[in-house]
Amino acid sequence: MGVRVKTGRTVLAATIGLGVALGVQAGEYPDLGPLPQLKIDAAKAELGKRLFFDRRISGDAGISCADCHKPENGYAHPDALSPGYPGNGHFRNSASLVNTAHKNVWNWDGRIGTNLNDMTREMLTEDYIMNMDMRIMQERAKQDPVYVKMFKDAGYGEPSNGSVRKAIPEYLKTLTSKNAPFDSGKLSPAAKKGQALFEGKAGCIQCHNGPMLTDLKAYNTGVPENFDVFLDPMNHQAFLAFVMFQGVPDYMNMKRDPGYYNVTLEQQDMGSFVTPSLRELKYTAPYMHNGMIGTLAEVVEFYNGGGGKDSRKSDKLKALNLSAEEKQDLVAFLESLSGDPLTGPGYVWSEEYPSEYPVIENWRQVRN
Amino acid sequence: MKLKKYTPTLVAAAIATVLLAGFSATTISAEGSAPALAPLGDPPIPPDNLQTPEKIELGKLLFFDPRIGGDASTGCSTCHEPDQGWAWAEDFSRGYPGTVHWRNSQTIINSAYFPRQFWAGSASSNEKQAKSAAKGGVAGNGEDDIMEARLALIPEYRKRFKEVFGTEWPLIFDVWHAISAFERSLVQKDTPVDKYLQGDKSALSEEAVRGKALFEGKAGCIQCHNGALTSDTDYHNVGVPPNIRWEEDGLAQITFRFEQYAKGQTEEGYRSAKSDWGFYYRSKNKWDRGKFRTAPLRYIAYTAPYMHNGVFYTLEEVIDFYDRGGFDEEGRTTAFPENKSPLIKPLGLSDEEKADLIAFLEAYSGEEIMIEKPELPEYAPLFTKAELEAAQEAK
Ligand code: HEC
Ligand code: HEC
Repeated sequence: MGVRVKTGRTVLAATIGLGVALGVQAGEYPDLGPLPQLKIDAAKAELGKRLFFDRRISGDAGISCADCHKPENGYAHPDALSPGYPGNGHFRNSASLVNTAHKNVWNWDGRIGTNLNDMTREMLTEDYIMNMDMRIMQERAKQDPVYVKMFKDAGYGEPSNGSVRKAIPEYLKTLTSKNAPFDSGKLSPAAKKGQALFEGKAGCIQCHNGPMLTDLKAYNTGVPENFDVFLDPMNHQAFLAFVMFQGVPDYMNMKRDPGYYNVTLEQQDMGSFVTPSLRELKYTAPYMHNGMIGTLAEVVEFYNGGGGKDSRKSDKLKALNLSAEEKQDLVAFLESLSGDPLTGPGYVWSEEYPSEYPVIENWRQVRN
Repeated sequence: MKLKKYTPTLVAAAIATVLLAGFSATTISAEGSAPALAPLGDPPIPPDNLQTPEKIELGKLLFFDPRIGGDASTGCSTCHEPDQGWAWAEDFSRGYPGTVHWRNSQTIINSAYFPRQFWAGSASSNEKQAKSAAKGGVAGNGEDDIMEARLALIPEYRKRFKEVFGTEWPLIFDVWHAISAFERSLVQKDTPVDKYLQGDKSALSEEAVRGKALFEGKAGCIQCHNGALTSDTDYHNVGVPPNIRWEEDGLAQITFRFEQYAKGQTEEGYRSAKSDWGFYYRSKNKWDRGKFRTAPLRYIAYTAPYMHNGVFYTLEEVIDFYDRGGFDEEGRTTAFPENKSPLIKPLGLSDEEKADLIAFLEAYSGEEIMIEKPELPEYAPLFTKAELEAAQEAK
């Protein structure tokens, strides 16, 4: 049985390998085209915006979503490894949230495949992210008159943890690419050549396709481990808590990020990560699940060498033999996928939060 | 990942205790029928968590280590400060950062003797108490997996857990055992009252001896504060009024409502509660609203303020409260007067009698128990760079 499965997979891989060798056929993959429009409820999104930048929705009121997903960094974080909840580090690069509302698989390892409501819950409650007991979060919101009004205006009634997890995703829908040269058809000649390479000789489109430039499937590309995950105990402890919870066996001896293996617990998926979107990369360096590659030129160099070293590396990756100019063209194309920064007041909550919770007057008389 | 669950209601245990509470309320009305005051012996040691010096020492480290908690800032000792009577010297305990607690922090000293822990007895052992405090949202707010992960990366802990518990890696389950072993070493049984009860008649002042007579007689304290523990370990509503702070402090209001949730209130209970319902949260019987476990009187010289919500800052205030029959100086009492114990009645004590009673109460505290805070062991990477490089090569 084991043997048959293995054989089947080898055949599949060989076919794909052949596909690459023959060159990628036009129309074989979903078009890169522009993103569809999303319908947004303004009042709910406005509430979500205030929540997103509010540190009080974390356990010790010390960290907000925006502390790890920074507007000026494409709602990712400039450190290779994301910060963690106070007292902790992290073991992955903070993912960009621009266009995340267009996805249906989230996190570098793809462990959430339902909706952004679940994704938000994960961020709020994970002990090395925001460590929030959502019942306390709800009571905090009910203690802030601004929230009481905003929840009401948004049609949610009184603040509840359920509506926090609806309002934040509504706000995330507002974070979409604006005026990317690729979308407005204003590609430079270099970028145009880059696109042809992307879809042809370089074979990027095999995985990076559709309007988000991702097929949302997991592959092993051989990105080297970031040793800081293991050498800094703050990061390592978050990693351990994570794999422990995911049910990964022998986690204490683990010296690599298991990636998609977390989800399936199948050895074949060890070290695989979900193809990320390639939009807004201008703002989101460093790259890859662990921030191991600093610039787009280095990413292209990485692929030119056929990716990294891993016995389970995808057969879709082969040395590309790109010329220096071709590499530059490819980078120019990647850059054309970034639009305006989403740092204006339409996206960023800039009013101050109260430093103390106001008291509910005549507390004995009113109902809780 | 946080998986918060409501505190399970231990129905059977709750019912048993309710029956007991009803029993004691009706039968121990005649003065003199309560168990006599007695000197304190050794605390009970559970057979599945025997004391060893190494375990106690490990427990001490863990007790003082804030990494046993959510953001590595709030460990046991943070709210049970040895300098503050192994408790916290404010009405409500300080809480996890960003919160305040809603009950007074209880002293660790002699907690080992109690069959149930917390003001309303919601934990059935020190082990369970430790776990629930380290994880509670307004206390330690820690999660098992992150706390266990931290310990694994501290070589000194790896060594000690292996020695004490024989496991390759520290287990969170054993953390609660070690902390409890340490707590069971924090006892005081040589107070002046203990010595007096053992026959050393010079151990108490004349005032205190008179206070003892009042305690056992006219003031009737012994009806609930009896035996060696100075507590019948039962639940009573003595009339303690709600803390005014809930009317004046936004942060306290947040925690108040959260606790209604966390303790499994009904929707109507959550909406209408304006005081701590105490033992009700466990039994869900309306006649248990406002009942709390009879507080022990040992070590109280160091543990002001008093009562489950810290409304009284001095023993004088406490005595005046009882003298008025369970009312504070503004005439406030429990939100559930219908549940107030019939044993609580105006006492008609003179100023001298009050002073005598306080002298006796103070003699239930011996020397202050101080301790040198341990130096906490440090983190160290688990792997060397060379090991990581080799693993990378082998991929
Ligand atoms: C402590 C840092 C931190 C905080 C705070 C944080 N995040 Fe994240 N977020 C991350 C990291 C790191 C990842 C990638 C996790 C992974 O792949 O395992 C991520 C991933 C995500 C993703 C998935 C993105 C994708 O496209 O796959 C979403 C959505 C998200 N976060 C939203 C939020 C929201 C909403 C909040 C606030 C409620 C928040 N995050 C708070 C660090 C953080
Ligand atoms: C086999 C599928 C596959 C192919 C082919 C592929 N990629 Fe990727 N790409 C991925 C995966 C998977 C990742 C994430 C890897 C990780 O984080 O470990 C990724 C990451 C990236 C990133 C980093 C994005 C970020 O947000 O960090 C860039 C840029 C990128 N690829 C560009 C390209 C280019 C350019 C090509 C063609 C030369 C290409 N990719 C070919 C699957 C692929």
